[in-house]
Amino acid sequence: MNEYGFQRLVLLNSAGYERAELPLDDAVSLVAPNNTGKTSLINALQFLLIIDKRRMDFGPHSADASRRFYFPNNSAYILLEVVLPEVGSVVMGCVGKGMSHDYGYFVYRGQLNIEDFRGPDGSTVQEPRLAQHFERLGKVVYRYEPNEFTAALYGSGNRRRNEALDFTVFKLDYARHASAYQRVLTRTLRLDKLKSDEVKEYLLEIFKRELPDANIDFKAEWDKAFAEVNAERAQYRAALALKPTIERLADEQAERLELRGRIIHFRPLVDTALAAWQQHYDETRVQLGHALAEAQKQSHKLDSNQNAWVVEQTELGQRQKALEALNEEHATLARRFALTPDLAMLERQRDDAKAAYENQVARVHQANQVAPQALRRRIAATKRELESLHHQLAHLGSNLYLALAARLDEARLARLNRILSRDAMALPPDRFELTSELTDVIRHSAGEELQFAGLRLDTEGLPAQFSQRTEAELQDELAAQQSQLEQLQTQLSTAEALEKAVQLQRELEKRLREAEQALDDYRRFLELQTQESLRYDELERIAQRHAELSDKLRRIAELRTQYRKQEREHEAAIDTLDAQHRQIDRLRRERADQTPEFDALSELPHTPWLGRQNFSLDELAEQLEAYQQNCRRLIRLNELTAAKLQEIHHGGLTKYANESDSEREMERIIDFANHLAQEAEALARKERSAIVNVTVSLRELRDGLQVFKAQMRRFNRLISGRQLSDLKVFKIEPQEDAPLVEAIELLINTAEKADTGETFELFNQTSITDDAAITRAKDLLIRAGEARGCLRVENLFRLEFVVGKENQREEAFADIDSAASNGTVLMAKLVTGLALLHLMQDRRHRIRAVCYLDEASALDPRNQRNLIETAREFGFALIFASPTPQVTARYCVPISSRGGVNRISRLSWQILEPFESQNAPLEPA
Amino acid sequence: MTDVPRTVPLDQLPKLRELFEALNSGRHLNRHHDHALWVELEQQLKHYQTLFAALGYDLRIDGRGYAWFHTADATSTVSKNSRRLALFFLLLFEYQADQGQHLGKFHSWSLDRSLLQVLWEKNQALLEAEDVADVDGLADILNTGARYGFCLSEEPHWRLLPAVYRYLDHFEELAAELRVQKTEDVALAHWEDDV
Repeated sequence: MNEYGFQRLVLLNSAGYERAELPLDDAVSLVAPNNTGKTSLINALQFLLIIDKRRMDFGPHSADASRRFYFPNNSAYILLEVVLPEVGSVVMGCVGKGMSHDYGYFVYRGQLNIEDFRGPDGSTVQEPRLAQHFERLGKVVYRYEPNEFTAALYGSGNRRRNEALDFTVFKLDYARHASAYQRVLTRTLRLDKLKSDEVKEYLLEIFKRELPDANIDFKAEWDKAFAEVNAERAQYRAALALKPTIERLADEQAERLELRGRIIHFRPLVDTALAAWQQHYDETRVQLGHALAEAQKQSHKLDSNQNAWVVEQTELGQRQKALEALNEEHATLARRFALTPDLAMLERQRDDAKAAYENQVARVHQANQVAPQALRRRIAATKRELESLHHQLAHLGSNLYLALAARLDEARLARLNRILSRDAMALPPDRFELTSELTDVIRHSAGEELQFAGLRLDTEGLPAQFSQRTEAELQDELAAQQSQLEQLQTQLSTAEALEKAVQLQRELEKRLREAEQALDDYRRFLELQTQESLRYDELERIAQRHAELSDKLRRIAELRTQYRKQEREHEAAIDTLDAQHRQIDRLRRERADQTPEFDALSELPHTPWLGRQNFSLDELAEQLEAYQQNCRRLIRLNELTAAKLQEIHHGGLTKYANESDSEREMERIIDFANHLAQEAEALARKERSAIVNVTVSLRELRDGLQVFKAQMRRFNRLISGRQLSDLKVFKIEPQEDAPLVEAIELLINTAEKADTGETFELFNQTSITDDAAITRAKDLLIRAGEARGCLRVENLFRLEFVVGKENQREEAFADIDSAASNGTVLMAKLVTGLALLHLMQDRRHRIRAVCYLDEASALDPRNQRNLIETAREFGFALIFASPTPQVTARYCVPISSRGGVNRISRLSWQILEPFESQNAPLEPA
Repeated sequence: MTDVPRTVPLDQLPKLRELFEALNSGRHLNRHHDHALWVELEQQLKHYQTLFAALGYDLRIDGRGYAWFHTADATSTVSKNSRRLALFFLLLFEYQADQGQHLGKFHSWSLDRSLLQVLWEKNQALLEAEDVADVDGLADILNTGARYGFCLSEEPHWRLLPAVYRYLDHFEELAAELRVQKTEDVALAHWEDDV
């Protein structure tokens, strides 16, 4: 048994113990029924050994609850006596501070005597009086802050002060193991809780230093090897994706360079031309104005001439038509009177016609004057007259009148003549008889009166009816009457044929007119004939003049067209000039090249202008417009290219972003995009090279795994030396994660081939499946690394707990808990945990500690002894907890309970000593 | 002092949904295939175990790199698929063992159609009894296996994933039992002879 190490644990007023005193210098069987505070007692050690509250483990109880439990007041103590090589016995203590349930650390040299903590009044010394109390006892109590206490306990960090006590208990090979050590140590207080994954974690922690570089971050290595390749691939892919944009950028940049060259060339020319323009405009404007006025004047003059000539020509035309009409008339008359010998004939014809007409007119007139009825009555009267005359003529010598005349005087005859009709007077004698009575009667009638028997007549005023004429007279009268009768009969027939007569009259009138017209016409003919030669002369003159005028007018039209054209040209020229002037004026005001950028244009990259070198002032507007457009286009191109550059940056192509200026960057980008095929090849080469490079870190990983496996063999030797229960074999084997390790091996082998001179062709010429295998291996490693953030040695294996019983096949278990029976597992965990702590401790500084095993009755005495022995070899004293005493331990310590308060008295310890001479089972002393 | 169920911080399980959906669909998660899911499962194992157990799922993890929800009674579809997969893997392992292949190295095998053809020709009767009519039927089984996380389709190959250990372990157990049975049978025969 190591003389250095834990001696005793004492609890005062803590964890439900009024007082507990537990030996720790050898195996202990802590005896108590379940739930009487066995584990609480052991857990109290955490305050002294783990210190860091975050690492303490009180199972389901919170840190606060645990604090209240262990430090209910300021006279609660957890005390541990340790014998150390350098300083001998040392007591480390943890004391409650009262209401806050906080606690403080202290240490003093010397053995742990519970009586030292009893005050003068018999009660436990309270925390504030502790130092003073111990001073009275002649002991120096050193107080520690928790971190100082940890540093001192684990011999790490800065010691607080020179005068402080050096009470390093756990001297570790490596200070950085402290964390793992504490965690394992925590577990030693409950080794039955040790988990498989914790074993792996602790083993890795312990062997970390042994590994070539256990901290290899494969992802980082990979990234480092591939950083450039990845960056370049990203750039390549970005360029590939952005190719259309870059092509447009190239076009725009080319255009921009060309425009710059053009603007640089034309800018001074434009300036000069603008300076000269106003004068040029004014002069040209005046010249054109004059020219236009002249042309207009000429044009007006022509207009007036033309009007006069047009009027004359119209008149000539009219005259010509008149003459031609006369000629026509003459010709017509000539044809008409071709057979007419002279004027006299026509006059005769006219006279005849006239006479016929006039007769007819008279007839019609007469016919119109006497109505046919009246004519007939007059004809009848005339005929009677004629008859009477014929009668008178026939009885001219012997008529009544003569007979009377013969007998009567003239007066009486006259009176009688008045009353007898003429025809009666002319009656021949055979037709009358004259008697005397007539003479008598007449005689009796005096004066004018005539009286007849019964009648008296006044004959005064009566005409004589009959006059006795001679034959000649009668003959004349007869002829006259005859003529009149004829006339009357003609008139009658005329009257009766009046319609025809009127028709005839009209006919005759027409003939007359025709005759007269013919006469007139003939006269006209004669006249025309006389004037014929004159007319022809005139017509000739007219034709001549007309032709002259036509010619003049035609020439005037030509001239006018010419002048109009000139006018229009001048006007157009003026308009153009004005428009140019306005345009130039506007453009001059809107010049787009007034920004500073244009002043420095020649300093920017540009394509020298090789096109047309100069221009005239007349072209200024056009040139200026083009120039302005070029300037605006250049400004637009600046924006466009900037936007595209930004787009390209956003698209991820940023490798040339550090170029001195954007122009240079664009140039490089365009050039890059133009050589993507070559870039792809170069990228592939670099990629292969990177794979070779990355295997350097893969080798380290693989070597790390080998080293770890070697260490594990060492570890297994450590734990397999013990007989665990009925196990023939118990070991912890690292099982390689075959896919990952194979992938690493594949890449390493491939890279080795590459290194030995086969270089990149190896990658090019291997078969597809091999290449696919490399890709798969690479992908697997990358993805495994990415998923974990990095690829470490620990990712290359898993631990298997290999268990083999006597006469049985070895079996491997991922989980230690499922490897065997409870007792065996308990032992396995204990051995493993103790071996882990053992490996961490400084071999030159072994201080015996304790480890705790609950449910110890699960182990049979043989196994208990084995465990106790193993623990001792690893530097630990075992504490078995069980409801019944375990006689394999040196101490049997029962927990007594009184009034709900636990107590362990030193007096109740039972110490079991083996008989030196016998191997018989020990009885309790 | 005993362990009591702890609360599960769901915010620390960003892939919970994805993990659950995968596992609940009967898929096996494989360390070297479902990297991200696996790492989260590994890192938050306690929480996942607590959560899934509380929900009534039996999350099993094999240290050889695969995890699954264990169910005692499979549905008829799963059982049919499972039966076919079991048959396929049995035939495959048998064949590969005959070829002198190390069965534990199945992850490095590359299964192609020519291999399936050989399997088909050798086991036609058995396969036809399971309604596997041709080589395409075998390919279908592998594709089904890919859905359940037993293999990976990498046209024109398939690769087996660690979850296949579930079948391999089972076959080896069966083989061991058969050997014991055989030994016992032989012993019994000897005893009977002796008697």
